[in-house]
Amino acid sequence: MSALLTRAEAEDLLYREALLIDTQRFAEWLELFTPDVEFWMPAWRDETTTTEDPDRELSLIYYKGRRNLEDRVMRLTSGLSTASSPLPRVVHQVTNVMVLDADEAAARVSAAFTCHRFDVRMNRTDCFFGRYEYRLAPCEGAWRIACKKITLLNDTIPTVVDINAI
Amino acid sequence: MDVSRYVDDRPEDGVFRVNRAIFTDEAVFARELERIFEGGWVFLGIESQAENPHDFFTTTMGRVPVLVQRDGEGTLRAFVNSCPHKGARLAQTRAGNARLHVCPYHSWSFDSAGRSKAIKSQRAGCYSAAFEQTDHGLAALPRFETYRGFLFGSLAADVPPLADYLGEAAKLLDLVADQSAEGLELVPGQVTFTYEANWKLQLENCSDAYHFTSAHPSYIRVLERRQQEMSADVVASVWENSDYWKEEAEGVAGGSYSFASGHVLNWGIFGITPAIPLYESAGALAERHGEGKRDWMFNMRNLTIFPNLQIAENASSQLRVIRPVAPGLTEMRTWCIAPKGESDAARRQRIRQYEDFFNPTGMATPDDTVSYENCQIGYSGTVEPWLQGYSRGMTATVPGGNRFSELIGMTPERSVLADAQLCDETLFHSYYRAWAQRMAGGEEA
Ligand code: FES
Ligand SMILES: [Fe+2]
Repeated sequence: MSALLTRAEAEDLLYREALLIDTQRFAEWLELFTPDVEFWMPAWRDETTTTEDPDRELSLIYYKGRRNLEDRVMRLTSGLSTASSPLPRVVHQVTNVMVLDADEAAARVSAAFTCHRFDVRMNRTDCFFGRYEYRLAPCEGAWRIACKKITLLNDTIPTVVDINAI
Repeated sequence: MDVSRYVDDRPEDGVFRVNRAIFTDEAVFARELERIFEGGWVFLGIESQAENPHDFFTTTMGRVPVLVQRDGEGTLRAFVNSCPHKGARLAQTRAGNARLHVCPYHSWSFDSAGRSKAIKSQRAGCYSAAFEQTDHGLAALPRFETYRGFLFGSLAADVPPLADYLGEAAKLLDLVADQSAEGLELVPGQVTFTYEANWKLQLENCSDAYHFTSAHPSYIRVLERRQQEMSADVVASVWENSDYWKEEAEGVAGGSYSFASGHVLNWGIFGITPAIPLYESAGALAERHGEGKRDWMFNMRNLTIFPNLQIAENASSQLRVIRPVAPGLTEMRTWCIAPKGESDAARRQRIRQYEDFFNPTGMATPDDTVSYENCQIGYSGTVEPWLQGYSRGMTATVPGGNRFSELIGMTPERSVLADAQLCDETLFHSYYRAWAQRMAGGEEA
């Protein structure tokens, strides 16, 4: 880990995150986040702008605190959710990774993503795409995700989108 | 159409059955569009979606694109969102502000009252006298009325006044509208999703108390985890303070009301709890409306105004508009609906509760919509075409209201008072009786 985040380090972290979700290694995925992580996928206010203030406007997903993500993982893997059993097969492609700014305390990273999802249950393939904005912070000797904002560009949701397909 | 092929309604024999074909048949679907969505009152939106002069929003009635537009003087009107020239969709966005709509195809223009403003190169157009005498304004919906800020339109002119159509169910809209003296608003951020099943599955599920503990155990487990922890990171849930979802709870927990025209409510007692964002106004609301009505505002309520409006006030507050696309495809437009002027803390709580429960990216709705898709798949099995899901509560339903409806002076057609286990299904009868009435008669489909 270098004092200032490099693009190679950012790419490593983002690719690793994608792999962990794609291979359903959710416990390891959760470890990538700081305990007070902000995990945010805004809704669209109109054709061109997303919502900006999660306290006054609706988001598709908004959590402050990793323990909320733990809830989501628990539900996803509990076998108690019809929508999640069996889990769809997903593969994330993360590209266009850029370090926007970096100092010793934090770094901002942007990226583009597509996630292909095959819903075995319905024999249905979907593709979700958009942008990621991360704030990464050093935590116990490694860069961790302190904030992840997901801008989902195709937001007419085909039945369901869970945290593993965005 | 012989509706008895689809709805077997014999109260004297204790029989109410619905044929699976009602959800899959192309001819039934075509007739539903014509008779129900394009042939009677349909919910369009709420007034605050076009609050200021020249504001507009767009929606659909069945297949028909609709423009709801406020003019410079403040009058709201509703039009078919289609240019009289060659039919192009006129307003392109879900909402906006326009003194003038200019058609993107050949630039015919219309003012915010729907009147023709200009026809490009009209003088040079060598038009006939007949054309010059024709009105070139937008086609207004044959009927357009508002109730307490809820806007409804009809593409058929020969429908009863809106107040008659809503009937006693209007008092349930009052419970939403009266939560703030300033009225209602939609929280910015619209969520749209589709599911591959019939629109009536959404209609039913909103009123289906029976599925909650079966379809949502994963959500219930999350609630239990949060309850144990009481961490500041998690949002308080209204279910935590209620026995409503606990199968072993005893005593009257709620029930259902059925109304003429197909409107229904299922409800449960939550009590006046800080887990409900409205809690900050509990005292003021009791003063303004009396305790009985105030208590009703805090009850869990799932309201359907037939055929396309649902307002669910349970885990949070949602307004849904159902749009049938095909027999096996439905589009849902959903919003968080909230009283204007609530505190920042209450608004934040409402929004957080909403996202977790109602969003298609949340922890409850997907387990509903996926179940609709499972039903749609199962409906192809017509070895035994008649469904058995309309029978709970058959010996509990009574004509008229009960001591709870009296609190708001409401007289439904029928009511059921229930403990947590009864989970009435007779309220669905109201949907299908209205459906049968609307679909019956005319030439054979
Ligand atoms: S279709 Fe609108 S101007 Fe031609
Ligand atoms: Fe549900």
